[in-house]
Amino acid sequence: MSRRFLAPAVGIVVFLGVWEAFVRIFHVRKFVLRAPSAALRHLWNTRSTFLEAGWITVQHAGVGLLISLTIGVLVGAVLAASPFLEHATQPVLTLVQVAPWFAYVSSVVLWLGSGTPPALFMVGLVCLPAYVFATVDGMRSVEPATLELFRSVDAGRWEVLWRLRLPSAAPVLFTTSRFNLGLALAAAYYVEGANLSNEGIGAIGRRASAAASGADTLWAAVFAMAILGVLGLLLISLLQHVVLHWHAAHRTRPA
Amino acid sequence: MSRIVTRDLTKAYGDLAVIEPLSLDVPAGQFISVIGPSGCGKTTLMRVLAGLEPPSGGDVTVDGQAPATARSRKRVAMVPQQPGLLPWRTVRANARLLLDVNRASTPPDAADPTALLQEVGLGDFMDAYPHELSGGMQQRVALVRALALHAPLLVMDEPFAALDEITRAGMRGLLNHLVEGRGVTVFFITHSIAEAVALSDRVLVSSPRPARVVADITVDLPRPRAADVEDEPRFVELCAQVRHALHGGMS
Repeated sequence: MSRRFLAPAVGIVVFLGVWEAFVRIFHVRKFVLRAPSAALRHLWNTRSTFLEAGWITVQHAGVGLLISLTIGVLVGAVLAASPFLEHATQPVLTLVQVAPWFAYVSSVVLWLGSGTPPALFMVGLVCLPAYVFATVDGMRSVEPATLELFRSVDAGRWEVLWRLRLPSAAPVLFTTSRFNLGLALAAAYYVEGANLSNEGIGAIGRRASAAASGADTLWAAVFAMAILGVLGLLLISLLQHVVLHWHAAHRTRPA
Repeated sequence: MSRIVTRDLTKAYGDLAVIEPLSLDVPAGQFISVIGPSGCGKTTLMRVLAGLEPPSGGDVTVDGQAPATARSRKRVAMVPQQPGLLPWRTVRANARLLLDVNRASTPPDAADPTALLQEVGLGDFMDAYPHELSGGMQQRVALVRALALHAPLLVMDEPFAALDEITRAGMRGLLNHLVEGRGVTVFFITHSIAEAVALSDRVLVSSPRPARVVADITVDLPRPRAADVEDEPRFVELCAQVRHALHGGMS
């Protein structure tokens, strides 16, 4: 079991070591790249500021992600039942997915005001297409024979959805959550920098990039976001392990 | 009263005839098998009887009612070719599935599957998940899932086709043991001559599509049937009879 944790730890230590060495040997300018030791030291020294801001960012990304998941599953369930609606919605969702969301953040801030609302909106929006597509695929992945078995006792649509289609979509929803987590954190960080409220790690990062002496703070913010991402992934893995203990990927011994 | 009655039942998809006019009376408690070449329309016939597909012509009743009505009252229990267990449900919960779904229509005499699971030798696996079971064990859960419904008609679509020969032989004995004395009518689809003869009171041999009954063979082997029934000369004779009808129907 220790190997499971040893290998990733070795990978991270080596990566940070190479980075540190690169910055020191080539005397890279501060804003271009900061040595991890300096960034982490600064993060530790200003930890109370970062903890407070981090908690805001966690709420923006986490709540936004949950809102997106909820809406995505609801929309996906409707689309899985209606190919016409699915084909009508697909181009819109694809547009949302590929359009550069950071380009219209200021418009969203103008519309929804400063603070939390634009952050939740943007996180929810950028994560939505992947959740909808995943739900549609997952719900359609049900075995026809199992569906027939449900039909053989005249199961209602709602029961098929609840007892069969939704659990079938759970594995792909977890996979999508891992992918969306990075997107959610990026959107939260970006909106916090643009929403004029000076809250969250994104606001710290924005102020730091505007200040001549902000290099340490900027790179501390980068590390803080990375730490949040790792913690988020661990949480998703934990949930996945509990919820999907029956799934093929979690079988502890071969059948 | 017969459990299954059809009069000139036909089924066609557009111009493609799948079932030729079929008139059939299956008495209550009879185990009837349909054997025929792949794609002959056996499964379509089963789906019509289960109320999953309407016939194109003729009359059909199951337990005295239209198949669709019987289906909505949960009077037909199905065992598909693949066990179709839900991976997130334990063995016990999978065995309860047909009782839990559409609960309002669950008949009051539906059985708690616990005793049945013990009867099929899964007493120690109640809380196991499907991936922890062998293929034969999974199909036993599927059998219990159907029997627990206490439906007067059990339809089975090649339920043992995916199993190895040793497991299949065991499943034949188990199924005989389970249905004997329960009064349930079984409509069983198979590709295996030995399976049809070992299990059935009556074997219908179908022609290639469109399905037409080329032989209606009564299996007069005594019940209860032990596993060694397959060594008896009468068993071998009946198998030969089915085989000849099958090959005659195909030429």
